[in-house]
Amino acid sequence: MKLYVYCLVEGINALSGPVRGIGGAPVRLEKIEGLGVLVSDFDDDAVPVTQENAMDHAAAVRSVLDRTTPLPFRFGTLVSEQQLRSFIVARKPALETNLSLVRDCVEMGVKIIWDVPKDKEDEPREREDGIGTTFLAAKRREILGSELRAAQAREISTWLHQSMSGLIQAEKVSTQPSEKLFLTAAHLVGRVNVEQYREKTAQVRDERLDLHFLLSGPWPPYSFANIELEFKTQFGVS
Amino acid sequence: MSFDQIIVSEEWEETDLSLLETLDHVLNRGLVIAGEITIAVADIDLIFLGLNVLVSSVETAHEVLRKRPLE
Repeated sequence: MKLYVYCLVEGINALSGPVRGIGGAPVRLEKIEGLGVLVSDFDDDAVPVTQENAMDHAAAVRSVLDRTTPLPFRFGTLVSEQQLRSFIVARKPALETNLSLVRDCVEMGVKIIWDVPKDKEDEPREREDGIGTTFLAAKRREILGSELRAAQAREISTWLHQSMSGLIQAEKVSTQPSEKLFLTAAHLVGRVNVEQYREKTAQVRDERLDLHFLLSGPWPPYSFANIELEFKTQFGVS
Repeated sequence: MSFDQIIVSEEWEETDLSLLETLDHVLNRGLVIAGEITIAVADIDLIFLGLNVLVSSVETAHEVLRKRPLE
């Protein structure tokens, strides 16, 4: 029997009601070294990555969000009770620091999608220029285009940061994670500032009607729970 | 304090976005438990399991994303 681990919590001693976890198993709150951990029993050796399981994980983590700010574990974390205890004992100072960083905060998400209009000048003119020239011209457009987009993404990132300053306690920003997705930002926002944050993002949207915004939240602080450096070091993954 | 989760976009269905955003948060982020403790208790299973889940999660996310109108 293994434990499926959902999140770390502080400041609560019991769940407010029954919570259904992965596979319908009841979620319980365990106390280890003074830290709370939401877990449920799990019989198998691996957790299938299905939509239902992902939603169950999200629901369990979210079940405590009204009362405290949880530090979520990544989906699929299965351990023995002894392993979980060893992990918490070994990492306790780092985990407490992480919990204190997200205390009384939630995560708000911003995704910016930008459909760059194609300039007719950029269309290939193979018949006039020949294959070689067309290829080189296309390559030039590709390089200049990506440089331009990178510069624009940085500019928008700076603009967004400045617009939201004073309302965010921390942020994780990725520019150009994919062709159309121009920017993704996770903002750590104090609970008392959530409404103000929403009002501000509405203003920000109105300022840039050429961009498409996807705003979401509040979330448990998934983006601010990483202790991945140790993981990378351990496995040589970068 | 109670929070209503809100997802706002001018273009896409909220139900789809809600699912996509949830998968993005749950599968790709969060505290990673791996490495040191597994080696400390000499349990090799967790290492393989951790990596498998990690790989599966990314693949699943890509699969889901490919079906969405953003692509």
